Amino acid sequence: MSDKQVISLSINGVTGEVFAPSDSTLLDVLRDDLGLHAAKRGCNQGVCGACTVMIDGVPMRSCLTMAGACEDHEVKTLEGYIQDPLMNSLQEAMIASGGVQCGFCTSGVLITARNLIEEKPDAAAEEMRTALSGNLCRCTGYVRIVEAIAKAAKEVVV
Amino acid sequence: MSFVVVPTNIEDAVRFLADNPEARPLSGGASLVAMKNAGLIEASHFVSLARIEGLNGISVDEGGLRIGGMTRHRDIAASAHLTGDLAMIAQAAGQIANRVVRNMGTIGGAVGNADPAADYLPVLTCADADVEIYGADGPRRISIEHYLIDWYETALEPGEIVTAIHLPHPKEARSNYHKLARTPGDYATASVACAMDGKRVRVAVGACGPKPIRSAEAEAALEGQIADPAAIRIFADSLAALADPMDDVRGSSDYRLRLIPRMVTAAINEIRGAH
Repeated sequence: MSDKQVISLSINGVTGEVFAPSDSTLLDVLRDDLGLHAAKRGCNQGVCGACTVMIDGVPMRSCLTMAGACEDHEVKTLEGYIQDPLMNSLQEAMIASGGVQCGFCTSGVLITARNLIEEKPDAAAEEMRTALSGNLCRCTGYVRIVEAIAKAAKEVVV
Repeated sequence: MSFVVVPTNIEDAVRFLADNPEARPLSGGASLVAMKNAGLIEASHFVSLARIEGLNGISVDEGGLRIGGMTRHRDIAASAHLTGDLAMIAQAAGQIANRVVRNMGTIGGAVGNADPAADYLPVLTCADADVEIYGADGPRRISIEHYLIDWYETALEPGEIVTAIHLPHPKEARSNYHKLARTPGDYATASVACAMDGKRVRVAVGACGPKPIRSAEAEAALEGQIADPAAIRIFADSLAALADPMDDVRGSSDYRLRLIPRMVTAAINEIRGAH
């Protein structure tokens, strides 16, 4: 387990190298080597969605992605969206609607929801729920999350 | 351990796998990395197939369709090539797990893993698909029927990779995939793939035994009788009689045996009514 390898990564527009255990997932490297803690380790099985990040513009599970397979791919975590207007309105809508309770699922939900709004700004509530089926939230019952996504999506359309 | 290596051609990949018996090929990672995280597998290396040319995408030639092993569920679900009696394959792909996992998982990985409840297995069995396999001795092709052997057992030899799925050209026909699951995105408790061209119906039942259930005899007996509820009932019961389901968290064996005739009948009736 002590075997390490040099992995070059591009994360949130910054390219660099990490010297990490060879069996690291992208999630391991983000959290344990780079201190980027937005992506959460929930199930570590790809089910809960708390670790969702963007890879080459597509939402993926960082816990199911080997870090060593990320070379030459663009990774974007929630930290990379600090100045993103759409993400900011989504975050504000989540706060206003009460879509955040314990917060553990929130960063994964935000990544998934932002991608949905971008691909389908006119998504119906049912489509939002289906899109969120890969992001487990045990607090809110989803109603307020769906409200928040609808609110942010409306702002985009206008 | 588990170093990631990223070969750029298939020969290098299979040579590496042959030289390193504890290495494993890595496609989308949706199952394999989850197994690693759970401590279920150990690998000296993961041989990523992501950079190998010719493994990604759907192509058409005079022989039929070829779906590269690295083609994502997302792209299969949205493919304009999968029409008529192949539409059920796109339907199945669109019901795997959830949106984000469909961005990652590949058909080659799913067929290589061969979970008996995986959505692709009944539709590929119903479509008479061939599996293209590449190993140290080069490529070979085998029918999905002979590829699937037993619970999680396939004709893949150590070091071999599923490089593509081959399908006949789509026929002007209807097809559908019915999946019964505890919740959307779960593995199927039971599933039915059904295609009808003219008077002939093909049906494969998934998640109810070591491999999908299909019967050429029963299909032949049903030919020309698809408007007859009694014939459909005999057909559906005969598939249930061939099933060998397990008790698991998704349902008991007995429950599945009761589901099969109902689901098969519903699938045939839907296709029949749609004509």
